[in-house]
Amino acid sequence: MMISVRDLQVRYAGRLVADVPELDVGAGECVAIVGESGSGKSTTLLSLLGLTENAEISGRVRVCGVDVLTASPKALREIRGARAALVMQSPQAALSPATRLGTLMRRALKLHGRQGNDVDAALEAVVLDREILRRYPHEVSGGQAQRFAIALAIALGAEVILADEPTSALDVTVQAEVVGVLRRLRAERDLALLLVSHDLALVSTIADRVLVMKDGAVVESGPAAEVLAEPAHPYTRELLEALP
Amino acid sequence: MTMLRAERVTLGYGRRPVVHEVSLDITEGGVGLIGESGSGKTTLARAFLGLLSPMSGDIWYGDRPLRKADLRAFRRDVQPVFQAEALDPRMRVGRSVAEALPRAARSRVGELLEQVGLDPALADRRPHQLSGGQRQRVVIARALAVGPRLLILDEPTSALDVTVQARILDLLAALDTERLLITHNLAVVERLCRTSHVLFAGRVVESGPTAELLASPAHPYTRALRDAVPKLGGPPPQARGRTEAVPAATGCPFRLRCPLAVPQCEQAPALRDVDGRRVACHRAEDVLSS
Repeated sequence: MMISVRDLQVRYAGRLVADVPELDVGAGECVAIVGESGSGKSTTLLSLLGLTENAEISGRVRVCGVDVLTASPKALREIRGARAALVMQSPQAALSPATRLGTLMRRALKLHGRQGNDVDAALEAVVLDREILRRYPHEVSGGQAQRFAIALAIALGAEVILADEPTSALDVTVQAEVVGVLRRLRAERDLALLLVSHDLALVSTIADRVLVMKDGAVVESGPAAEVLAEPAHPYTRELLEALP
Repeated sequence: MTMLRAERVTLGYGRRPVVHEVSLDITEGGVGLIGESGSGKTTLARAFLGLLSPMSGDIWYGDRPLRKADLRAFRRDVQPVFQAEALDPRMRVGRSVAEALPRAARSRVGELLEQVGLDPALADRRPHQLSGGQRQRVVIARALAVGPRLLILDEPTSALDVTVQARILDLLAALDTERLLITHNLAVVERLCRTSHVLFAGRVVESGPTAELLASPAHPYTRALRDAVPKLGGPPPQARGRTEAVPAATGCPFRLRCPLAVPQCEQAPALRDVDGRRVACHRAEDVLSS
């Protein structure tokens, strides 16, 4: 398992905001966490990389074989941003605005001691021209920035991608491109993908399994095809009926 | 006669046009403007609201150009509904709604809040004390305060959760006003608009009954938009052509992204009638039959 979670509980100031009894993502697999604002889906994702500040976390979280909750800062650095990459909703906000993308890529590779890795192959995998390395983040479109963030993950040798609403700020046509890239990477590179999304239709086309969260709790989970075709929980049904 | 229409309107910022010679009527049953970021749909909405003057062409309000119209009457007739961030964060929402009412009618605030499905007791709250869906309802209540005949809605639900979006769409569908809806979400247009216009790079590329445009698009761009929308349990969304190709400066603006482009596309296609809709594509018949 690339990601394995047992009895994860995340609290802010004593209040339980995410309670996930079980979550596994294997190589080449895509698992989606769906839910609405405040359901705890993003908190769950961030806690897998130890990125929830001021939170009390209990349970067991293993990512790429590293026990995240007890790991040393050095061990965490080895998975964060390298073996397990994070792709955020707004890639342009995640990229340093005064740094050309090529410089950013070089620095990230150096930081993780991976200078030898193949940048060209990574760019090709996300269908970007090498020319993009000369540009600043504001000079590229949202879809290009998002694909660059994925290319960065590939160049760093990511085995797991954690993506938080990676396409919800993009036009549908651009979303289709980014989803195509993610699907291909799963198949060709055996990448494990944990996707947080509010878009059930999108999730149904890409995820193998799905967890539905509401108010911090997992209300339903199972194979995506089953959960979305025959939802057992009233909240899942409500989400499906709300689709326009 | 339609209340508001654009006639060969070119719009831009500075000297750079971003909307080119667009003509369209705001007809009954809801009108949708569909397009990607940068297609010019919000610019066109601003012109319909009288917030941006055309570089050429005119917006007609009834029988006279908007620039010569009685703006007081126009503002009562046509109201914008933007995303909920348009509310003053320091003002109690009841006052935000009351501001839009004549002094003598301020007691109608509670009634307006009820009309949009809000508890009148919420009037004392400030925007940050409400949920996103409640804030959007306040924005709608404020627009309704002057009794408009037409609402111009710019992505009214795109920031909302799906369950909240569904309820706002129900509310908008039940209102007794005409609407111009600007969105990139085809499903929302299908729900609220009988007629739709698809914009690409500031030009209308296809216009017609919404149901027909979505069932059998005649423009490759309309088809690309439709096929990119993920459907529950459906095949993965299809990307047709690369989206990063910039619009062509000459000829058909879509030709650099178009999987069907032929040398003829270097000549700009005019809007023409094909199978019950208006479409600007040399290959519309091929798109329809494929």
